[in-house]
Amino acid sequence: MAIHIDTVYKQFGLLKVVNGVSVDIKDGEFFVMLGPSGCGKTTTLRMVAGLELPSAGRISIDGVDMTYAEPRHRDIAMAFQDYGLYPNMTVFKNIEFPLKIRKLDVRERARKVEDTAEKLGLGELLQRKPSQLSGGQRQRVSLARALVRNPKVFLMDEPLSNLDAKLRAVMRTEIKKLVTSLGITTIYVTHDQIEAMAMADRIAVMSRGNMVQVASPLEVYDRPKTRFVAEFIGSPPMNLFPAQLQPGGTVTCILPNFAHSLREDERAFATQIVDGKGGLLLGIRPEHLLIVKAGAQGATDALVELVEPLGQTTNVYVSVGDVRFVIVTDRTTARAGDTIGVAAPSELLRVVANDDAVLRH
Amino acid sequence: MANSRTFKNGASALAAYALAITAALFFAFPIFWMVSSSFKSEVDISAYPPIWSFTPTLANYAQLFTELNAWQALLNSALIVGLSTCIAMAAGTLAAYALARFDVKGKEFLAFEILSIRMLPPIVSVIPMFIIARQLGIFDTPWLLIAAYALSGLPFVVWVMRVFIQDIPQSIEEAAMIDGCSRFETFWRVTLPLLLPGLAATMVIVFMFAWNEFLLASMLTSQEAKTLPVIAANAIKPKAIAWGLASAAGVMMSLPVVILVLLMQRYLVRGLTLGAVKG
Repeated sequence: MAIHIDTVYKQFGLLKVVNGVSVDIKDGEFFVMLGPSGCGKTTTLRMVAGLELPSAGRISIDGVDMTYAEPRHRDIAMAFQDYGLYPNMTVFKNIEFPLKIRKLDVRERARKVEDTAEKLGLGELLQRKPSQLSGGQRQRVSLARALVRNPKVFLMDEPLSNLDAKLRAVMRTEIKKLVTSLGITTIYVTHDQIEAMAMADRIAVMSRGNMVQVASPLEVYDRPKTRFVAEFIGSPPMNLFPAQLQPGGTVTCILPNFAHSLREDERAFATQIVDGKGGLLLGIRPEHLLIVKAGAQGATDALVELVEPLGQTTNVYVSVGDVRFVIVTDRTTARAGDTIGVAAPSELLRVVANDDAVLRH
Repeated sequence: MANSRTFKNGASALAAYALAITAALFFAFPIFWMVSSSFKSEVDISAYPPIWSFTPTLANYAQLFTELNAWQALLNSALIVGLSTCIAMAAGTLAAYALARFDVKGKEFLAFEILSIRMLPPIVSVIPMFIIARQLGIFDTPWLLIAAYALSGLPFVVWVMRVFIQDIPQSIEEAAMIDGCSRFETFWRVTLPLLLPGLAATMVIVFMFAWNEFLLASMLTSQEAKTLPVIAANAIKPKAIAWGLASAAGVMMSLPVVILVLLMQRYLVRGLTLGAVKG
């Protein structure tokens, strides 16, 4: 079912948490809201669930206005960060609960509960209480409880953040497979960029109550529009260099060699950025920078400050005068104190807006 | 080595038992003395040194029921305390739920207001209550004491239950609402079962408080609505204290509380250790 969020605001007292978020989520889409804590992603999700009411704006699900509808009338399911299981009920009763509220026939209920439990590998645990389960098992129960009634929309609020790293990776693939195979429209909230990249059809990167960029994972990674997105996604984050838009449409950079062969569409994008001082940033992913011989033509000479061999890749921290940045490369012979040449392939250079700038549409 | 360690463990266990038994005896002895005195004749009670073996008699209980009209008082107590406890629990728990979960304006002030009822010494409210009761024509009826006890139990219920409710993770209730429950269904089907230990512990305390209350009961009743503590006090006669009668009244008063605690035992242990419902 498609979800339509239209300029939604939420304010708690004087605190503005969500600042006019608008987005259309397509039927069957896996939509991830990504951002640091306090960016309004969970509040936005809770407004879709009906657990919070917007201060202004509209939310409709499958074309029906649900802005102020009670959660029970929205036909949504939700998984919580702390699972929200009923501690006094067995796993069976927990999964059965939504069916019981819907007054389904007892035998039908048992059949559905067992089917769903089987699908999630909970067959053996049906008679246990939540306190007798591990974190991963509890999360599975909460997923089973959500899926047992074939919801049309599935909301997940950081469902994996209480699990250890290994289990998180396993559950990530499981959830993605399960939800995709059932074709359920899903909104997934996380602060973990890897989770977002791995699972999403589309990512909305959020900051201070705004959706800064909404795009596919690779587009968000390859073509971040603002400084916040560029720095939030990727580890180490994108290298950003102060730059200027000159009259006539050329872009100059603090590292002049990087700017002179900028692509046409990047220069066009630069003209869309409205900044009082004409300031913008030139960005390139650390793994796109090339190490060449010092003094090579078109390259910039840089001083190696630190080399971090990580096995699969190597982080090389370098400086050009006051400008510091990082290069991710394969094995390298460069040592701290060496001078190397750094080349930036022009097709991989991006123009990025400073966060206080405004995009002209 | 092993032997000396076993010996040490054995000795410390023995000491612990001895201490526990001494403490138990110390606290149980007055109760034992009360029960045994209630079955003694007037002569046996005043014997010195105290006698341990005697012929039990029910004379004190007979006197309690005939002379002091204990049966009526027991019924009054049961009705007044039972009803006022129920009212205080029901109203208090709902108020506590609102204070714990809803966005009520001036919530903290309201909670403090409720608590401030408790700060007033009961004696201060006796005279106004007496006057109001006379005007309403409810003096010496059970309704007056029911209202008084329900009101004095309420702040305690609100404050204690609020903590119990806050201890239940909000996501459990939110999950229930998403699963298809209305607000009230959520409270009834999900929150209330989790609150049972807290409800039991709170109820026992509110019940005991009202059951033993003497001051209001003695001032606001004259004949019809007398409760057990009031008639028990009648054992103190102008010339002497009727110990046997007083003991029998004491036993009568203690029994219902003992029975209540035994019934609630299952929940009490969990309820008295606050915050035991975390999933």
